[in-house]
Amino acid sequence: MGWQETLWLLTSFILSVTKAGTTETKSEPTADLSLTPVMMAVEGERLIMTQSQYKCLELLSRDGSHNKTGLFCSRFWDGLLCWDETPAGTFASQNCPDYPSFDPLEKVTKYCDESGNWVHSSSINKTWSHCLTFSKEKIKTLPVHGFLETETEMDPTAESQVSPVVTQKAEERKKIIDGQYKCFEKMNRDQPYNKSGLYCNRTWDGWLCWDDTPAGMYTSQYCPNYFPDFDSTEKVTKYCDETGNWFRHPETNRTWSNYTLCIAHTKDKLKMAYILYYMAIVGHALSIVSLLISLAIFFYFRSLSCQRITLHKNLFFSYVLNSACTIVNLITVVNNPKVVQRNPIGCKVLHFFHMYMLGCNYFWMLCEGIYLHTLIVVAVFAEEQHLHWYYLLGWGFPLVPASIHAVARKKYFDDNCWMSVETHLLYVVHGPIMAALLVNLFFLLNIVRVLVTKLRDTHRAESNMYMKAVRATLILVPLLGIQFVIFPWRPENRLAGEIYDYIMHILMHYQGLLVATIFCFFNGEVQGALKRQWMQYKAQWGQRRREHCSMRSTSYTATSITEVPAFMYHHDCNSEHLNGKQTEDSELVALKMGETYA
Amino acid sequence: MACSSHYGNAIEEFCLAKFKLDMEVLDQRQWCSWEDTVESYGELTNCTFLVALKMNCFWPNQMVDEFFIRVHRHYFHDCSLSGRLLHDPPNRILGPFIVVPILVTLLMTALVVWRSKRSEGIV
Repeated sequence: MGWQETLWLLTSFILSVTKAGTTETKSEPTADLSLTPVMMAVEGERLIMTQSQYKCLELLSRDGSHNKTGLFCSRFWDGLLCWDETPAGTFASQNCPDYPSFDPLEKVTKYCDESGNWVHSSSINKTWSHCLTFSKEKIKTLPVHGFLETETEMDPTAESQVSPVVTQKAEERKKIIDGQYKCFEKMNRDQPYNKSGLYCNRTWDGWLCWDDTPAGMYTSQYCPNYFPDFDSTEKVTKYCDETGNWFRHPETNRTWSNYTLCIAHTKDKLKMAYILYYMAIVGHALSIVSLLISLAIFFYFRSLSCQRITLHKNLFFSYVLNSACTIVNLITVVNNPKVVQRNPIGCKVLHFFHMYMLGCNYFWMLCEGIYLHTLIVVAVFAEEQHLHWYYLLGWGFPLVPASIHAVARKKYFDDNCWMSVETHLLYVVHGPIMAALLVNLFFLLNIVRVLVTKLRDTHRAESNMYMKAVRATLILVPLLGIQFVIFPWRPENRLAGEIYDYIMHILMHYQGLLVATIFCFFNGEVQGALKRQWMQYKAQWGQRRREHCSMRSTSYTATSITEVPAFMYHHDCNSEHLNGKQTEDSELVALKMGETYA
Repeated sequence: MACSSHYGNAIEEFCLAKFKLDMEVLDQRQWCSWEDTVESYGELTNCTFLVALKMNCFWPNQMVDEFFIRVHRHYFHDCSLSGRLLHDPPNRILGPFIVVPILVTLLMTALVVWRSKRSEGIV
């Protein structure tokens, strides 16, 4: 769903920008993109490779430049000792390494056979059994890692303070190694290339896995999410040239994948993500304020109460809670990577409530739709329905998908704070919501059909009729949330995509404000009630200022006049609220009259 | 000194032995357990990278690919592909999780519509 991707863009960029702010980023990606991708290993090499192994590696690099006659075994690191180049058919021996529980006076020997290969012993027991000074039973229990720790502990301070830099780099490395493992597994298991013609072999480029590609073609996939400034909605491209070899960068003459788009627009996208973030917060705050004012109006003016207003009150209340939940979520979790890292149980509970409130929102919209449908189509303009089932559907039922989602998430995809949107488990909540929206759409279209046919029956002018129908539909659309059904796909074009994002965010986050405005502030009856109240206050205030009897009597008549219209309006509650505008009452009153006489 | 085919031999001789030792310490059934093997695998990768640096080879390259394919064939050939990063459950579990709430939603909606219709008749 398009808005889901927008939300993910928002959350991922907020997370990433705060991560980049608190930790040092890796070496400039622009330069490194033409060089080795796995540069981050360099900084940790001292910790990962022991000094002895490193020395051995140094010696290895100096080998090979001088020619030796005859066959020999090349330099070899067996995990603890460096074995020099040895002529074939001879034994090589050296002292045991200077490790605890090793006797450095003992010797270890290795045989280089006639074909120039080292004879590797099959287990640790044979190799080091001479060196160990204590009982042989303990040999089996000693892990190889244990030996290495003596060297790495030389620098304890580096290990003890696990700074965010180290943990973030470790996380990145973990993801990359993971990707590498999955890649080689895939390369192993996939079918060999069976089409004719030249092709480039499947390969691991250090960050992503590439399949066999026909010659002369570009292939692409999405950017990985290893680094904070990589945009995983952008694409990486790789070119397989006509000779069946992967494209080599002209400067370094090494195979090269084009990761430049991953960071090209990052700054702009970050800026936009922040704009959208603040827009969302402002939108929800405005929605809460306007909805609370509307609720106050609905509760204060008893004369307005009818069944539809009761449903409105519940709908507005669920909007308020939804907005509050979203604001809390955005401020405390999305913008706060430390919380996400700590992963307290509270943020998962918050996520559960967010899902529940989202469900409530859409199911109350569905209740409104069902109510209108029942009112207009099924049993026209009859007054009383039992609202218990609506309450059950609106407040009670959304617990079901929210709980199922929580259980499934805990069991199968328990990431930090349940932030990730890369899981299909989200459809456990969004599926029922989409179903509710679709049913709502069906009801809406049915209502419009009924309204149009009824309007046609009253023999109005064509344009008038369509005008009314269109206006009625447009007023109902924000109420019933249809925009999520009509606009789920984000355009590929960058500019169009940005415009789409802005529009979707306005529709999503200012919806509460829109609904409150259209169904409360623009409601003719509400306006009338407010005007009357205002006149009352003015009159009372005027009364206090001037204590004349004549003024008092006029104020009494004024209040009695205001009483009558309220009584009159009460009966026509249903018909007026269809359009929300008092001026269109005449059509519908005529319609109603027509019904009773027909 | 440019990159030569010695690189392939070098990583076999230099890096693979340590990895072999590490894997031998583990029980063969643990070879498919990512938590147990991730460190050794990471060290192996690092080792190939550092050897490449020293031998003026760019990393990764075709020899690295072939080397790792051989390693995987020997050690990880019968491990399940998924199970490394967080992933969705298989479709036979995911399907019911999604379809059942949708069906229940439609049922509830139909129920509410039916009940509200019926209440009309009563009134």
